[in-house]
Amino acid sequence: MVDGKVIKRAKYKSSVKDSGTPGILEMMEDRFIFTPHNPKSSPSLNVLFRLIKGHKFTKEGSHKQALLNLTHDQGGSYIFEFENFSDRDVCREFVGRATSTATEAGKDGSERSSVAAQDEQLSTKEMERRIKLLQEDSELQKLHKQFVLGGVLTEAEFWATRKKLLDGDISRVTRQRAGFKSAMLADVKPSADGRSNRVTFNLTPEIIHQIFAEKPAVHRAFLKFVPNKMTEKDFWTKYCRAEYLHSTKNAVAAAAEAAEDEELAVFLKHDDVWATEARHKIRRVDPTLDMEADEGDDYIHLPDHGMSRDGSNDAIDSQYEEYRRSLSQVLNRHGAVVLEGRSIDVELGDTRSVAEALARSKQVELANGASDGIVNQERLERISQLAEIEDLQAPRDPPLAPLFIKDPREYFDSQQANAIKTLGDTLAGTRQIKCSLSTSEAYGSLRERISEVKISGLSDPIVKPEVAFKVFNGLTQNISSTKYHFGKNPQESVLDGLPSITKEQLLHHWTSIEELLKHFWSSYPITTSYLYVKVHRLKDAMSQIYPKLQEIKESVNSDSRHQVSLLVQPMLQALDAAFAHYDADLQKRSAKTGDRPNGIV
Amino acid sequence: MPQVKIIAKNFMDMVASLPALKLDKLYDNAFICEAILRSLPPLAKKYVLQMLYIDVPISAKLLQEWVLADGVSKHNVAVDRLVQLRVFIETVDRKKESTYRLNPKFQINLQKHIVHGGVLPREPMPSTITVRLPSLEDLEAYAAEQWECFLLHLISSAQAERTTNFSSSMMKIFQRGLLSQRDKEAPKLTESGFQFLLMDTNAQLWYIIREYITNSEERGVDTADLISFLLELSFHVTGEAYNMNTLTDIQRNVIKDLADLGLVKLQQGRKESWFIPTKLATNLSISLSDLSSRKQGFVVVETNFRVYAYSSSKLHCEILRLFSRVEYQLPNLIVAAITKESLYNAFENGIMAEQIISFLQQNAHPRVAERIPSVPENVTDQIRLWESDTNRVEMTPAHLFDEFPSRDVFEAACDFAREYGGVLWEDSKKMRLVVKAEILGQMREFLRR
Amino acid sequence: MTSVTPKLSTDDVSLLMVLLDTNPFFWSAANATSLSFSKFLSHVVAFLNSVLLINQLNQVVVIATGINTCDYVYDSAAAGAVPNQRAEILLQKLVEFVVKDEQLGKEDSVNGIGSSLLSGSLSMALCYIQRVFRSGPLHPQPRSNLMKLLVWWQILCLHGSPDGPEQYVAIMNAIFSAQRSMVPIDSCLLGAQHSAFLQQASYITGGVYLKPQQLDGLFQYLSTVFASDLYSRNFLQLPKPVGVDFRASCFCHKNTIDMGYICSVCLSIFCKHHKNCSTCGSVFGQAQSNAPSTSNQKRETPET
Repeated sequence: MVDGKVIKRAKYKSSVKDSGTPGILEMMEDRFIFTPHNPKSSPSLNVLFRLIKGHKFTKEGSHKQALLNLTHDQGGSYIFEFENFSDRDVCREFVGRATSTATEAGKDGSERSSVAAQDEQLSTKEMERRIKLLQEDSELQKLHKQFVLGGVLTEAEFWATRKKLLDGDISRVTRQRAGFKSAMLADVKPSADGRSNRVTFNLTPEIIHQIFAEKPAVHRAFLKFVPNKMTEKDFWTKYCRAEYLHSTKNAVAAAAEAAEDEELAVFLKHDDVWATEARHKIRRVDPTLDMEADEGDDYIHLPDHGMSRDGSNDAIDSQYEEYRRSLSQVLNRHGAVVLEGRSIDVELGDTRSVAEALARSKQVELANGASDGIVNQERLERISQLAEIEDLQAPRDPPLAPLFIKDPREYFDSQQANAIKTLGDTLAGTRQIKCSLSTSEAYGSLRERISEVKISGLSDPIVKPEVAFKVFNGLTQNISSTKYHFGKNPQESVLDGLPSITKEQLLHHWTSIEELLKHFWSSYPITTSYLYVKVHRLKDAMSQIYPKLQEIKESVNSDSRHQVSLLVQPMLQALDAAFAHYDADLQKRSAKTGDRPNGIV
Repeated sequence: MPQVKIIAKNFMDMVASLPALKLDKLYDNAFICEAILRSLPPLAKKYVLQMLYIDVPISAKLLQEWVLADGVSKHNVAVDRLVQLRVFIETVDRKKESTYRLNPKFQINLQKHIVHGGVLPREPMPSTITVRLPSLEDLEAYAAEQWECFLLHLISSAQAERTTNFSSSMMKIFQRGLLSQRDKEAPKLTESGFQFLLMDTNAQLWYIIREYITNSEERGVDTADLISFLLELSFHVTGEAYNMNTLTDIQRNVIKDLADLGLVKLQQGRKESWFIPTKLATNLSISLSDLSSRKQGFVVVETNFRVYAYSSSKLHCEILRLFSRVEYQLPNLIVAAITKESLYNAFENGIMAEQIISFLQQNAHPRVAERIPSVPENVTDQIRLWESDTNRVEMTPAHLFDEFPSRDVFEAACDFAREYGGVLWEDSKKMRLVVKAEILGQMREFLRR
Repeated sequence: MTSVTPKLSTDDVSLLMVLLDTNPFFWSAANATSLSFSKFLSHVVAFLNSVLLINQLNQVVVIATGINTCDYVYDSAAAGAVPNQRAEILLQKLVEFVVKDEQLGKEDSVNGIGSSLLSGSLSMALCYIQRVFRSGPLHPQPRSNLMKLLVWWQILCLHGSPDGPEQYVAIMNAIFSAQRSMVPIDSCLLGAQHSAFLQQASYITGGVYLKPQQLDGLFQYLSTVFASDLYSRNFLQLPKPVGVDFRASCFCHKNTIDMGYICSVCLSIFCKHHKNCSTCGSVFGQAQSNAPSTSNQKRETPET
């Protein structure tokens, strides 16, 4: 996709207002060419991408033009209007890639070939992300330029060690899911045609989904009745009838109908699923919350929040209580569902599948949290936490994760047998003054020394003035020399004392060595010929850095040479270790496969 | 704003102000060396230690090498102090570079101390003599009682039940500055007198001892001798009895005075008499009030401005009366209320809000002392607010200029004064201008031109 | 000017833990060379005296580090107020300690100079400090505006014996707990070679590490470098070591190693590849050493 061409019909405009010159826009690897239909009307364009500084574009929208604006390096810009947005986007992506590779590759376009070859199997998105990372981080870009374009590492190898950077970017881009509309179900008003008694309800899949979510009893009934007992159409007709009865506020009529038709009754009675859910919720309410204290702060005690619904006045009749709903209940339920958002990912349309999917997600939810035991336990803990009486509590220490040790003796105790063994170079120094004393002799002399002090008192003077002066002078010199070497203040870095060019070079070499070493060590053990080639390539690259470091060391003036060599030392050591390993490995390899000096070829 | 006139300088400032000869003589005494060393700033102590065994002059540059950029000021303070106390003897060589070496006497005394671990000034009473010595608590109570009695006596001789050994002339000296007496009237506390009462015991003691020392010459006692004796006293062990016979006559007289202040307790044995230093004495050379020297507080202040003082002391009652209205007085409890009137009264006497607050905080009852803040914030805030009420009018010395020859000159003068930030008031109609007194000189010069 | 009260803060109070190395083998070896134990003791006692001299609130605790045990030998807070008996008390206790140390030792003579129980004495010092923090009024409370003294402890190791790699874990644990309780560990090396443990201890806790060149001037080193209280250290440039030996000891053989294997669960260090971690029991995956033509390929974790 990167190489190749894009050819689109477009209009070239000198400004946004300009009506534009129709023509053909052709985008190639390193340039774009615009040829007007009418060669006389305006000159054709042929611009290199590396002269393009950036690009802007209009947002997608019905009444907007599909514009792409390319900003030229020396100021000025090229505006193209496309026929549609998809054309524009293709070109935009192309330009984005082309400009960044063009700037990356520097002035020499030919270097780019190797990159392009590797890129082929990458998606555009992936590519864009990498380019963005490179643009954001100049350090990274430098490394990329040096090694990938220099042919030391392949593009894939370079990015393989930086998966995290790429992944982090992906996770940020997640698709946004559309939630429920906040419009109430009650807003779905029946429309009456006025002439007859017929009332029509309009149910869309969207509304049905919402009904399922908000009215679990309907949802349950749907799963139960459809399609065994009745058709979907019958079901919804019944539902609508029930709704209609509700809307007319005719509790008596509703009760009468419910008595006749048990299916209809489901819709008319109180939703028992709500009730249980509500009970669960109440149980989860913070037990220390004192609701009574807030009583009177709101309008709860007024029926229906003081609003009259549809202007009709409810006759209070406890007999039909269960056939009436309060507006507040409906409102609350609706609010909860909207906030919860859409929890299923099923194409709306087939009502049945929607219903089932919803049922599944509900079950998961239930299983997840609502086991009463846990909730109760939490509740009790909360109570004791919030209503604790300070004096009666034991002091609470911050929680510590105990270290699990299988056998403490193994951890803490010395292993005598091993300890007596040669202890590396720590003992090397002491060997020279090895004493031939036995234990008792040694202790004896120690005691003697102590009693010596006891009898004769402290030696007076403790320190001879000459010695004291010498020591003091020595220490002071030590101090002043460290001050000189490491700057007056401990925070000040040695690097700050160096000329800025040297400093930058050092830092740059350090990062490149790090990068190379990372790749180098990660390719061991060499199992494939590919790794073998890679290691060889890396070794060569590293050996090129070696003399450069030497050069830096010699280029600085004598004052800071010592410091620079101190800084360079660890780099050289790290490189040396890598070389040594490489050589050893090579030898082993050639020894094994004597006739094949190249190892695996 | 009333300025505090009592500055409780520490002992060492007084020592430092002595002439060089006397200072050198003081360093003969090992205890003085020790006390001086302890009073030094931290860096100075370190310098002394590191030069302890060096007998050649060390150049200032070498010392400076060790100092980080942040510490230069501390370093300078330390070195100045050392030179001022003649612990460092400074010499400036031909290249104008100063070198330092330790005062030899000082050096030798400290070297000895380090090797032998310090000795006691005199042997305590051998344990073979069976005399009942007061317990440490008794001793402390005794010291507090003596000191209180002395203070009461100081404020109003009439209230004191016991007379002190101090001659009335000595008493007069102490009272000088604290009390003012207009003819025939009963003496009244001055501003500094009030402030004195609110200071903590160590600071009060300081004031008295300082007066005592500065007036020693009049009594025929050498200042340096007195200082060295007082310092020596502070190295005695609290609660041990020491024989009076080891003292010189002058010292014996001094000891009697000190007994009145509660610094020592005198005890008459069958044959010999002894003196027992109290905590007040051993704290003399300490320039800080560490926790051990702090007394238990007794005051509880409530948010309703009520003050409960668990004390039977008359002095405490008197002090509380300075800024609050005493309502009840029970055998061990004084109940008082901080009112606007009582505070105004205090402010008129020159007591400042901060002093009252710090008194309440420092003497907070242990029950409330642990709380932060130990005095309720609304009370402290109110005390400060009431104080600022009294300071509504601010006085600024100023000069009035008028009868300017022309408007131009007047305006130029105004601008000039404004530049110096000295304009207090101007009336452009009548061409009059009031400026701060500080810029009078510049104004004069300007107008002359 | 309302501050008529004397200076309230005592910035320069130092509470000092001195860990004395009493390894008899080391000292009998050192006898012949520069510093005998008796000389060493006079330097140390003089140093203790001078620390106690410069501030009456200073406190010194001495812990002797033997090869078999360690113990408190002096505590200036408990020793009573008689200053001129300091040395006597300390020496008396020291003799008792040496006798005890000898009795506890096994008969077989140690090959070369054994290491002394630095881990033990460090732990004892830290325990002491913790006890004071928790019980006493001297608990450091920088935030409190109560007039509590800000008192900080410091540990000074006067050490000569070589490091005992078998103590690695215990010493590192002590170092980290010192770091957590903000107790700097100063080290003064009396032996011929540097100590990697103490280098790390001083580095991690922000203390001073010094190896005096001229041991007969020990007191001068102590008074110039180590006597500076923590407050003054903010303003002073103190000697810095040129480099710190950060090498670790492996848990399996207690060898000091440059490169090794680290348990990814508990961070235990091993010098060889193991099937499972001996500390926490985690089972490790197969090291990638099954390459066809390679013999001894190790995937090493370079740790520096």
